[in-house]
Amino acid sequence: MAALDDGFEALLEPFYNGKKLTDPISTTQDKFHLVPAFLKVKGLVKQHIDSYNYFVNEEIKDIVRANRVVRSDQDPNFWLEFRDIRVGMPTRTEDGEQVQSRNPVTPMECRLRDLTYAAPVEVDIAYTRDKNVIVRKNIPLCRIPVMLKSAKCYLNGATNAQMEVFNECPLDPGGYFVIGGTEKVILIQEQLSKNRIIVEADEKTGGVMASVTSSTHERKSKTYVVLKKDRIVLQHNTLSEPIPIVIVLKAFGGLSDNDIIELVCGGDARYQDDFLINFDEAGRAGVYTQQQALEYVGARVKMGGNRPKFGAAPRRNHAEEGLDALANLVIAHVTVEGLDFYPKAVYIAMMVRRVLMAAQNPKLVDDRDFVGNKRLELAGQLISLLFEDLFKKFISDVKYNIDNFFKKPNRTSTYDPHGAIMANGHYISHGLNRAIQSGNWTVKRFNMNRAGITHVLSRLSYIAALGMMTRISSQFEKTRKVSGPRALQPSQWGMLCTSDTPEGEACGLVKNLALMTHITTNVPEEPVKKMIFAADESVGPIREYTGTEMHSKGSYIIHLNGTPFAVTREPKRFAARFRTLRRRGWVSPFVSIHINEHFSAVHIATDEGRICRPYIIVKNGKSMLKAEHLKMLQLGQATFDTFLTSGVVEYLDVNEENDTLVALQEDQITNSTTHMEIEPFTILGAVAGLIPFPHHNQSPRNTYQCAMGKQAIGAIAYNQFNRIDTLLYTLVYPQRPMVITKTIQLIHYDKLPAGQNATVVVMSYSGYDIEDALVLNKASLDRGFGRCQVFRKYTAELQGYTNGRRDRVGGIMKDEDDKPIVKHAILDADGLAQVGSKVESGQTMIKKETPLDQISTGIAGDRGSDDYRDASTNYRISDPAIIDKVMISVNERENKLIKVQTRQTRRPELGDKFSSRHGQKGVVGIIVNEEDMPFSDKGLRPDIIMNPHGFPSRMTVGKLFECLTGKASVIAGEKDYGFGDAFRSHPVESMGQALIDHGFSWEGKDYFTSGITGEPMEAYIYNGPIFYQRLKHMVQDKMHSRSRGPRAILTRQPTEGRSRDGGLRLGEMERDCLIAYGASQLLLERLMISSDGTELDVCQECGLFGYKGYCNACKSTRNVTQMTMPYACKLLVQELISMNVGVKLKLEDEFPHPR
Amino acid sequence: MDYDPMVMDDAESLGPVVKISQADNTRVKFELSNTELSFANSLRRVMLAEIPTIAIDLVEIEANSSVLADEFIAHRLGLIPLNAEGIEQLLYSRDCDCDEYCEHCSVTLNLHAKCTGDDIMQVCARDLVPVGDRVNQVLGSPIINDPEGQGPLILKLRHGQEIKLQCIAKKGIAKEHSKWAPSAAIGFEYDPHNKLHHLDLWYEQDPKKEWPPSEYADWEEPPQEGEPFDYDAVPQRFYYNVETAGPIPPDAIVTEGIKVIQQKLAGLIHELTESDGGENGYNGPRSPGYNEGGDNWNDQGSFTPYGNGGNQSSWGGQGGTTPYGATPYGGGQNPWS
Repeated sequence: MAALDDGFEALLEPFYNGKKLTDPISTTQDKFHLVPAFLKVKGLVKQHIDSYNYFVNEEIKDIVRANRVVRSDQDPNFWLEFRDIRVGMPTRTEDGEQVQSRNPVTPMECRLRDLTYAAPVEVDIAYTRDKNVIVRKNIPLCRIPVMLKSAKCYLNGATNAQMEVFNECPLDPGGYFVIGGTEKVILIQEQLSKNRIIVEADEKTGGVMASVTSSTHERKSKTYVVLKKDRIVLQHNTLSEPIPIVIVLKAFGGLSDNDIIELVCGGDARYQDDFLINFDEAGRAGVYTQQQALEYVGARVKMGGNRPKFGAAPRRNHAEEGLDALANLVIAHVTVEGLDFYPKAVYIAMMVRRVLMAAQNPKLVDDRDFVGNKRLELAGQLISLLFEDLFKKFISDVKYNIDNFFKKPNRTSTYDPHGAIMANGHYISHGLNRAIQSGNWTVKRFNMNRAGITHVLSRLSYIAALGMMTRISSQFEKTRKVSGPRALQPSQWGMLCTSDTPEGEACGLVKNLALMTHITTNVPEEPVKKMIFAADESVGPIREYTGTEMHSKGSYIIHLNGTPFAVTREPKRFAARFRTLRRRGWVSPFVSIHINEHFSAVHIATDEGRICRPYIIVKNGKSMLKAEHLKMLQLGQATFDTFLTSGVVEYLDVNEENDTLVALQEDQITNSTTHMEIEPFTILGAVAGLIPFPHHNQSPRNTYQCAMGKQAIGAIAYNQFNRIDTLLYTLVYPQRPMVITKTIQLIHYDKLPAGQNATVVVMSYSGYDIEDALVLNKASLDRGFGRCQVFRKYTAELQGYTNGRRDRVGGIMKDEDDKPIVKHAILDADGLAQVGSKVESGQTMIKKETPLDQISTGIAGDRGSDDYRDASTNYRISDPAIIDKVMISVNERENKLIKVQTRQTRRPELGDKFSSRHGQKGVVGIIVNEEDMPFSDKGLRPDIIMNPHGFPSRMTVGKLFECLTGKASVIAGEKDYGFGDAFRSHPVESMGQALIDHGFSWEGKDYFTSGITGEPMEAYIYNGPIFYQRLKHMVQDKMHSRSRGPRAILTRQPTEGRSRDGGLRLGEMERDCLIAYGASQLLLERLMISSDGTELDVCQECGLFGYKGYCNACKSTRNVTQMTMPYACKLLVQELISMNVGVKLKLEDEFPHPR
Repeated sequence: MDYDPMVMDDAESLGPVVKISQADNTRVKFELSNTELSFANSLRRVMLAEIPTIAIDLVEIEANSSVLADEFIAHRLGLIPLNAEGIEQLLYSRDCDCDEYCEHCSVTLNLHAKCTGDDIMQVCARDLVPVGDRVNQVLGSPIINDPEGQGPLILKLRHGQEIKLQCIAKKGIAKEHSKWAPSAAIGFEYDPHNKLHHLDLWYEQDPKKEWPPSEYADWEEPPQEGEPFDYDAVPQRFYYNVETAGPIPPDAIVTEGIKVIQQKLAGLIHELTESDGGENGYNGPRSPGYNEGGDNWNDQGSFTPYGNGGNQSSWGGQGGTTPYGATPYGGGQNPWS
């Protein structure tokens, strides 16, 4: 193995249960060592990286190959061919569009300088010039954003030392992009699988429908075969009405009525009876021949739409139209070669058969929520969709350019496509950049327009970033109240985390990958096709079988990616042999095969986006994983891939899992067992893996922790102090949790933790601990418990303007004594804040100035003012901060870029939020002096007192376990106790004994004395270390009050929100209370006097507003009176008047003077 | 009010009795008897929180090119235990005549380290060098107990990084900040056999097996089988286990603790006997008088905790006008423009 230190060494070399090389290895105990081995090969975010690598290395070439040649409509002799395309390594662009730059750039530089981490793409072209073929190589085409740690990234395979040179954190998972300085993640998108038949039943009408979404490079379309009122029809977007299925099958030609009924029903009389009626439909329509059928279909093909526009193309007749539609639009993924419609006929017949079967037996309806029917779209696939679209646009632009050139009657030069490529290539770069930046995916040829594909990578904590990389977002509408897609699916086992999903509207729709999940990339079909025939002699091509043979009992149709391909009568033997081929490495390990007994079908899948997961192979009741394998792993002589090719482990996708019998542990293996789990805790994801003893908790608590773990403040990355993020929280003294899980070690949370081990006693104290509030020890805070740093970024860009003027950084303003004014007190001579100085609210950090004149040309007399306007960046937060860093650089637009980072160190205060790892959050209710804290007989004083009322209803037994386990491992110094893995047994007995041996009670309770009175607590108190996370919600960022302050211009009512120093709203319900109470004066004060009350002149004569005691309508002052009313009311009246709605105010004295 | 200090010194009378069972340079175990629970607990509390020691309180940083932030280092420096021998000769800074600090109320320590080698350099407490006059030769010196003689680690430096700072150590008590705490943990218990029934011994099967006996169980008579419960019994013997955090030897913590209690009581007696003492002698905190306090107090008639006047938005005028027609930083009555 290469000396690649990625942090897994500690896990692999001395086996981390404290085992030495000489220690005996038990496969039962140590099989989980395959998990680090897997992660070492696959990494935590390998799905993204694999997918991206597949795109830049293979798919991009396929796309260009498919759109290789550009021909001119004007000159038939001219052609331009793209022979190859290559993606280079990321480079710096010094001025905007320069694609050629050869300067390597690091991701960190891109982050700091607001650049895009992108690599140049080069093409080799060939074109004709006067009957000669000219070949040019390495023509720069565009730049595409590079995923960090992908094959095109400098960080790929870098050692820790190299990562340090790059200023990068060795534990950073990669898998995201840096666009304009911000880190962007392309979330995994969940979709219903394409090119597969899904059968659904309509509960209301009792109809059954089979649908298939065909997806090819050209188009995406959905075809339906619907059973309605006993008749079967085919529906498609381009067909104006449903077409009877027999007409469609007849239109394919070459099939007699008998052939049709055989293909659909085989020899089964029940299906034949059901299907027969459909022939009448065709007869009624007068369709008997292929020609008639094609005309029938052709007459119903919708015109226009997005079909190719050949303006000059001759108007085709109905039959041709129908032929074209059936060949290219209906079930587009089954290609028709040379008008051979047989495969397509078989496919549609198969759909009809599925509909008939589902009508007979409602259990045969497919489950859309079944994970095997889902496909996950990753970064590479999404970018390739976009790239193909942009490349096609590029080709058409180049073609337009070529046509324009050859249109000229007398040309002065020969054509050189280099210029056109250079000129149009940057549309590709821009398109990709914009899509990743905004998250709006617009693919014209699929009419796809999706928003929110990308997100800014959350760097709140290491876990937040990691959690984001494994997130899967679903296409379902969040507002729909359906439970099906949100529910936990049994097929989710091991593939998607069972706990990690948000609460609220996206619950169950946003999911996360489990720890060992792998997402397949595309495997070419052709070699697999050969292997299918080679695998077993019983396999014959589907064409050689009649319908009856195909559907006869005991013969199984082999489907390749959902398309009927071959037939076998020995499905079990075939599947077994095919699996053997796969285990020996003849077929890609990610090709799955499973037998569906209900439909007598064998399904082989090679497509991308399937979710799969490795299992240990069990043969004849014996696990294939032997002690020597683990030994080899330990010695570094084997990797996970070695086991994959040597038949020890294999990947199973969700569908193939249904064909297996998986044992959890070695002792559960029976003769029929086919596989064994590598490790049960891998059904949880990376984020849920932080929870110790999750199997002892009520399940929603684990889900809550998954949400809160992402808000915990801690170490972000090893390079956290080199980064300048908009907002960065770090803990001053983060600690490795006392009780960890194997997942924690695998994801390196023990190296970048977010929390501290607090000594917690569970008792009530002071009454300030109701509703989950915590009692904190003041001395603990003095010593640094929960202390955190908050960094904030302020940026300024010195722009240039068209007239040559530029923004500048101005000097300091001085007062009479030649001292800087208070606002500029912390500025240096260069107009930027001094590092290390304390900045208070209102003070300037970057004294930027903009020229007043930005438009004058400077030609002749057109000169504007030479003055500058202050556009400084000021510190606006009420609590002071310290200037931590000042960075001056130049961005992509050649403008000077200034970034200032401020730092605050915060100690926990009343109201700050903390949580343990069991979904138990609470705010600080009181901070108590140490001498008042209860203490144990040994003098131990707690950091946190937790109210025991938090336990009974939450049922977080895991927290109690964590406490006891932590206590035992601290006291005994036993590292082994400190594991809280899911679904494992724990040495509770020996832990209890260890506690007794050290003079503690076995059940974790101790004798505590009140610090205030000195009397012992009546009961023994449960206590021990519990890992507490400090959450990002802090009082300092939220506290807000206002007496007077700014008002909105339009309504003159107080502004809203803390950031605008807004008022606190007395809302409708509060108003109702005051009305009910009869506090009219208070109501008046709150709603008018303290809000937007205005003195107005109203004319009693005409009822309109006057002005300065004069009514402009009546031209008099006689009846004008003053009154107070809300400004909003005045505004409403005036707006109504402006819309020609007359409003007149009639005034009356409420308390008339007695005359 | 008939306080007679002589009573305490008289061992033969009924005053409290101390019996030391074990003592070394980190901890002392003793039994206090013949006194009441409230007094015993007071002593414990005082030993925890009110014995004056010395700790770094001010740090003037001249150069810091280490990876840690200034206040991070300052916090670490504060927690380094300093020798508090002779602390009684040092004044509290607030009682001193000087402006900020002087040799009568503080000890200055310098720290200057620069890493020139390729290895990572550890800057430890022993690198803190006391400078200037001190009341004695040990007060304020860092306490170093580890075998390497390094003392607590302050920070690590890499090649080319430098730290240069001056620390001002002042006298204080742990009530203000726990860095002034003289003791680490104080074990405290009484009635090892639970004769007084101050707690209920919860057990699963057999309390004797499940609850290990207190180490003081041998010191007292176990309850006799069938012994009637004595309702009038009060706790009498208290067992302490005082561990020092370093600044003061453990036995000194106890004597100092007693001294602090004495002083507090003496102060109380003084206050009570000198009847006119209240008004003028009072130096503690009080609420601000009329016309006192910050400049912003009276001007706008409103007050937010962060000092700027009520009509000013701390966020600049983002489109909103104030009723007075001015946004804080865009003209109007901007005090800084």
